[in-house]
Amino acid sequence: MLSCCRWHIRDGNRRNPPASPCCEELPLASLLDGIRVLDLSDWVAGSYCARVLADYGATVTRIEEIDGGRLRREGPFVGDDVHLEKSLLFLHLNANKRGVTLDLESAGGQDLVRRLAAQSDIVIDDRGPDALDQLGIGWDALSAGRDDLVMASITPFGLTGPWRNYRASELTLQAMGGPLHINGTPDREPVKSGGYVAHVHAGIGAAFSVMIARLRVEAGGAGDRVDLAIYETQSGFRDRRTPSLMGAAYAGYPAKRQGGGSIIARGVRPAADGYVNILGHSPRYFGKFLTLIERPDLNDRAESKLPPPQMPQDFIDEVEASYLTWLLQRTKQQVVMETQAIGALGGAVYDTGDLLTDPHYRSRGVWDTIDHPVAGPAEHAGRQLILSETPRAPVHHAPLLGQHNRTVLVDELGLDPADFEALQGSGVIGASTEVPA
Amino acid sequence: MTTNPRGLPLDGDNAHRLPLEGVRVAAVTVVWAGPHVTQLLAEWGAEVIRVEPMNRVQPYSRLSLQRQSPEVQLLSAKAGVTFSLTPDLDPGLDPWNRGSAFNAHARNKRSMTCDITSPEGHEAFLRLIAECDVLVENNVPETIERAHITYEELRAVNPNLIMLRMPAFGLDGPYKNFRGFGTHVEGMIGHHHLRSYEDLGPEYTGDAFTADAIAGILGAFAVTAALRHRDRTGQGQQIEMPLAEAFLPVLGEWILDYTYNGRVAPAQGNRHATHAPHGIYPSSGDDQWIAIDVFNDEEFTALNAVLKTTLHEDERFATNAARLEHRRALDVAIAEHTAPWDKFELFHALQAQGVIAGPVMDELDALASAQLEARGWFEEVTQPGVGTHRHPGILFRMAGTPNYIRRPPPNLGQDNEDIYLNLLGYTREEYEALIAKGLVGTTYSDELLRTAP
Repeated sequence: MLSCCRWHIRDGNRRNPPASPCCEELPLASLLDGIRVLDLSDWVAGSYCARVLADYGATVTRIEEIDGGRLRREGPFVGDDVHLEKSLLFLHLNANKRGVTLDLESAGGQDLVRRLAAQSDIVIDDRGPDALDQLGIGWDALSAGRDDLVMASITPFGLTGPWRNYRASELTLQAMGGPLHINGTPDREPVKSGGYVAHVHAGIGAAFSVMIARLRVEAGGAGDRVDLAIYETQSGFRDRRTPSLMGAAYAGYPAKRQGGGSIIARGVRPAADGYVNILGHSPRYFGKFLTLIERPDLNDRAESKLPPPQMPQDFIDEVEASYLTWLLQRTKQQVVMETQAIGALGGAVYDTGDLLTDPHYRSRGVWDTIDHPVAGPAEHAGRQLILSETPRAPVHHAPLLGQHNRTVLVDELGLDPADFEALQGSGVIGASTEVPA
Repeated sequence: MTTNPRGLPLDGDNAHRLPLEGVRVAAVTVVWAGPHVTQLLAEWGAEVIRVEPMNRVQPYSRLSLQRQSPEVQLLSAKAGVTFSLTPDLDPGLDPWNRGSAFNAHARNKRSMTCDITSPEGHEAFLRLIAECDVLVENNVPETIERAHITYEELRAVNPNLIMLRMPAFGLDGPYKNFRGFGTHVEGMIGHHHLRSYEDLGPEYTGDAFTADAIAGILGAFAVTAALRHRDRTGQGQQIEMPLAEAFLPVLGEWILDYTYNGRVAPAQGNRHATHAPHGIYPSSGDDQWIAIDVFNDEEFTALNAVLKTTLHEDERFATNAARLEHRRALDVAIAEHTAPWDKFELFHALQAQGVIAGPVMDELDALASAQLEARGWFEEVTQPGVGTHRHPGILFRMAGTPNYIRRPPPNLGQDNEDIYLNLLGYTREEYEALIAKGLVGTTYSDELLRTAP
């Protein structure tokens, strides 16, 4: 486990480290090479946690119920065809993993999970505070007799506390923990953030948590059990929540919805073909901004030098009218280019069509094309990290149901092929799916 | 004795030491995302040194709105703009040490003043980099590159360095130097559109900084993973993590809906494709709401029982398919029945019947949350000159590794002397010369305070 190189770091002078030929010989292709992860999750947070680990080199084995569980049943679907291999949410969250199907209610299935966990460094679970314990495959069972296991238990409210058994979803977790109450306009109900952002954020947090614990294990320390409550990751959400909590603790006031466009030339405005969000006023460039919107004359008015809260309304109205006229003569892309050119902060309001056709992202190779035996090929959201020394390997499609049953259970775990087939026959192990040629 | 690669004992009780102890991180970060990365690293044991200029103002850092008078702060507070308040709305004589936006992330960190754009500051910074494991920066690429802070240049003084760069859009490509806050980046990746009301344009959504939250936590993961690789091989590296690209996985299924199905996702608001009711409904009091999420008949019947309604007998709402079809009428009907309820009473009543519901909780609700209280999530921190306040807690816990906020947010330049003299090897005389030049200190100049935006 220990390579000699770690001593070079410890003992060497960082300015002039000794040459270490052993380092150069190590065939390390990725950041998380050699880390084995057992993914026991069945919803978004745990699944995404394991996906991140898989993307950067860990070997991730996902355990699924024989019928595929609920993620495969969640839309949208390829061609709106409700099919276990065509859930876009599943395909996104499980790329780069291997898939094994087991009857987790059966003693045989539970035994196989314990044996797989014994060969794993990290276990990920998001099934609820007691679910795995009730199946005999929780922390106590999996960590028995070893002190190097790292396990993340991702739950809505945590493993303790009066709300531990309450149910939750993306919507309610954003509402209870996050900044949902300040999203939207004051005249209407608050509005949630997009997709499963609370779950994905919690999943990344779980990936961070298991990696720091694993770092300690690899250095000779102990493993640990992570207790990650999505309610708490939302409470510690950097998107306005922690600064507002600090503000409330300092002064006793809650944050409120502000709506958009309440300050001069700031916020979302229409352009000829959609919307833009430009920070038009900053003392650094407001003069240039007025010139850009073809009203250099306004620079001669004393009001243009005032802080926005002190600008008279008729001056604001005049700026806004000219700004709007200027905007409606340009596409959102042109607006962004011209305002960036004067140093103004801002951007366009894209939809997914704009995003997938945008030349910047395309020039950077953001999109991964993944071919899938049933769903076919398509572009997916790609890498988040560009690593100068350990580039990410090409991405494999999400596993078909039971695709790796034989590889994992026979070739790696060492089940006798006859036992494997008997367990398949009795429904403990799911059918093996061959990848169509 | 077993030691970790940074020479710390890991035997016995130390086997559960904070995992990042012994890691030293330099932070040249602004705004929201970069400081969040280093907050998370510091919480789990890393020594984070914030490198801060005292002769320039950094956007949304120590010197921003919190300089406002108590009267102006009160107007902001009443209007619900609370990012940058000071204790009791009093900016004091050193508002740069007292702002909520800064102090929410700065706990456990150290502060040195150093202007990396000056020759003296650049020299001090290179000496610091030689002693660090990690550098985190999130500046506009051309700004930091002009200061000669690039991986290639820093490698010369520390070949094993891990450098995390967090530009808005990337270190190359047409938008390399585009300027924007998290909310502008989110516009350019489709999140602003997606989270808008179904029936109102994106103007009504307001700004959000969700991309900063995602990039912050992903950056902490990336640094940890790179440390693991360096522990094994001795090899550092540059990690490029644009805010825009870090956020794309949040949009994964919507991106696939476009690439597989050719469908541009419309604004989602509070709707769910297969759940109804799924929304934010009024409760008693001003601007009080409860979130309710129902996805089968059993739960819908339970919801009706708690609300004492018979909506489930109305044929428009009898099945999930019917409820989805008559979603708007259903929302109106539910809202009528939730409106008289206290949001917490309804929350507990619905949870008792197995219905997924949660009160929309503002910051005062959070400070009074029974669950956060029972788990000891908020922590009391005393900051010299600022006072004792409750601070947001640590994102997750480890059963075998008790963890607390160990140090209050640092006052500006608080650790100058220790860092310059003991870590960087400056003589007392050299150190005094930097102070005399206005490059090292613990306050901003009167001139800067007068002219800063």
